[in-house]
Parts: sequence; structure tokens; C-alpha cells
Amino acid sequence: MKTEDLIEALARTPETATPDRLYRRLALALIIGLVLGLVLARIFMGFRPDIGVAAPMVAMKAGFSALIATFAGGLALRLAKPIGGASGTVRRLATPLGLVILSAIAIGLLTLIATEPGHRFAAFTGGGFPWCIILIPFCGLPTALLLVWAMREAAPTRLALAGAAIGALSGGVGAMVYAMFCSVDSVAFVTIWYVVGIGLAAAIGAMVGARLLRW
Amino acid sequence: MLSGGAILTPDETQLHAWMLGAQAGDPVATRRLLDGLAPRLRAFFRNKGARPDDAEDLVQETLIAIYTKRAMFDPDQKLLAWTYAIARYRMIDRWRRTGRRGFDLPIEDFEHALSAEETEAGDPSRDIARLLGDLPPKQRTSIELVKLKELSIAEASTQTGWSASDIKISIHRGLKTLMRLVGTSATGDIS
Repeated sequence: MKTEDLIEALARTPETATPDRLYRRLALALIIGLVLGLVLARIFMGFRPDIGVAAPMVAMKAGFSALIATFAGGLALRLAKPIGGASGTVRRLATPLGLVILSAIAIGLLTLIATEPGHRFAAFTGGGFPWCIILIPFCGLPTALLLVWAMREAAPTRLALAGAAIGALSGGVGAMVYAMFCSVDSVAFVTIWYVVGIGLAAAIGAMVGARLLRW
Repeated sequence: MLSGGAILTPDETQLHAWMLGAQAGDPVATRRLLDGLAPRLRAFFRNKGARPDDAEDLVQETLIAIYTKRAMFDPDQKLLAWTYAIARYRMIDRWRRTGRRGFDLPIEDFEHALSAEETEAGDPSRDIARLLGDLPPKQRTSIELVKLKELSIAEASTQTGWSASDIKISIHRGLKTLMRLVGTSATGDIS
């Protein structure tokens, strides 16, 4: 096929093109992903028994997760479209997310230092292995799969980075879900291990992104 | 090249304006945009060391990608940076798919491999027909009616009994598949 003929064929049908479909799909993926995650968590893990009394803490933890999800979402939205120019663009885009994460970890460490030495270890690990680093990506899995579907509308050109961003976004949603189950309310635990769990989701996203997001 | 834009290379501002036109569904702007970008893409791929035939394949793949993904252009962005980002992506994707070995092989061999029967060389409508043959029937018919026979969406809709949006989606999907076929025809690897 000659290139001129291809151009002529492509230009023949007047059709408007807006990113609305991508945005609609992303919104759907986030809403359905969150609900599905909640349903799965309810069935397989159950919510914490004192969820009524502990509502303020649950809200704090979910809010913290939502904050990270928001920044990761902004990054994912940008990476859904082709990015030209130097890698400086990506660094500039990722800076806000990095700052949120760093300040969260800093707050966690500060509270740990302020904790009595005898209680530090328990506050840090939540009294056992921090399962949330596994369960947060698990709770975010429905969102992750739906986001991959949504990204089929998009045109990411940095697949590993886009994968990491939607991984972090799914991890953030997963952490919101996980907050309903998690009964450890120590600030140091939440800021550090939630961030590790979300980071793990981002790492998985970066690894499978190149495969799943091709177009 | 017959199209007017070939002699004076349009600048970024001009191309940007045509892109906005293409997003609004203006066929003239779309044509001018793609015409204006094709030589730049050709130069880009040749600079990256692609053989002429291969460069042309990549140009076509990138043009289809620019057209089908034009909604993913943000008016605040620089059009050429956006275009080259897609071009670079298509090149990397091709390497991933075929390995660089694909760069050694003349495209004609594979066009023969793709079609069972001989067809007269250089007849573009036959070439398109051959590629279309690999599409699912609905996508093929939609593209044939609208893109080749120049019917309007509404006419194609009455002729086939499919809804207008159905036809639009079929064209869209078909073009995406076509993009992959153009990309793989250089190695005959249809996956």
C-alpha cells in the first residue's frame, strides 16, 4: 500500500475524536474496581469487627491511601498519552507523588522516634508480619485489571512507567479497601507499610506494563 | 507527491492547527496533517537507521497510529514532540515484535507470502484489498464501504443494516488491526 493512498483512506471519514471515552473508562474502572475490591475483601477477609467505633481511624487510613491514589492517578493520566522530549518531563511529573511518599515515611519515622523504645517494634510491625504489603496489591487487583482495559483507549509510549503508575493507583485503591480490614492503627505502621504495599503494586505494574499495555 | 503541502514543509504551528481540525473531524485538515507529517517521519526513521522499505512501513504504521489515537493529543502539547513520541514507540514496538532481523528483508517477499495468488504489483487498491482480507468480515465491510467506496457512515449503515456507531467502531478496530498487519508484513509474522 502506498503511503499517499493510506493517507487518503484515513482522511476520508470525517469523525470527531475526543479523549472522553478514555476518561469515562478510567472513571468506571476506578469505581467498579473499588466496589469489587470491597466485595472481595468482605467475602475473603471480613471487615474489622470494631469498624463502627474505629471509623475515624479507618477514614484516616483510607484518606491517606486516597491521597496517594490521587497523585498516582494524575501521573497515570499523563502517561496514558504520548510523552515526547527528554526524561525530565517524567521526573517533573513524578515529583509530587515522590514528595507525598517521602513525607509519609518521614512522618512514620518521626512518630516511631517519639514512641517509647519498648513499644517501637510493635508499632513498627503491628505485632507480626505486615501482611498488608501482600494484601494491598491483592485488594487492588480488580482495579488494576479494569485500568488495563481502560488504557486500551489510550496511547502510552512509556509502557513500564505507565504500568508503574497504574500499579500505584491500583495499590492506592487497594489500600483504601484494605483499611476496612486492617486493625493496626499505629501511624508508623500505616505510613510505612501501606507505602511499601502500594510500592509493590507499582513494581508489579512496571514489570507487566510492557506486556499488557502494548497497542 | 501531488498534495500541495509537499513543497513547502508546514511548520509546527500549522501542523498543530491541522491536528485540532483532525480532532474536530475535518477531512481536509486530517489529510494535510498526515501529508505534512509523512516526510518528517520518513526522515526520522531513516535517521534511526531503518532501510527505506522498512522506514516506509514504520511511516505508515505511525500515520495510522496518529490517526486512530488523535484524541490522545492534548492541545497544550507540542505536536512534533507528540508525533515523535509515537514514532519512537512504534519503532521500539517493532523491534520487540520482530527483532532487528526484520530490517534486512525486502518487503516484496512477504507480500507474496501473505497473498496466495499473484496480483499485479503497484495497484494500491489490490494491496489494500489483500490486507483487508485478513480482517474480520464486519470490520472489512465497514472499511470497504466507507473508506474505499466513499459512502457516508449513514449510507453504509442503511446498506448493511448495522447502526452508525457500530460501523464507526468496526472501522476504528479494523484500522487498529490494519496497523498491526502493516507492521508485521515485513516479516510475514502474523500473530
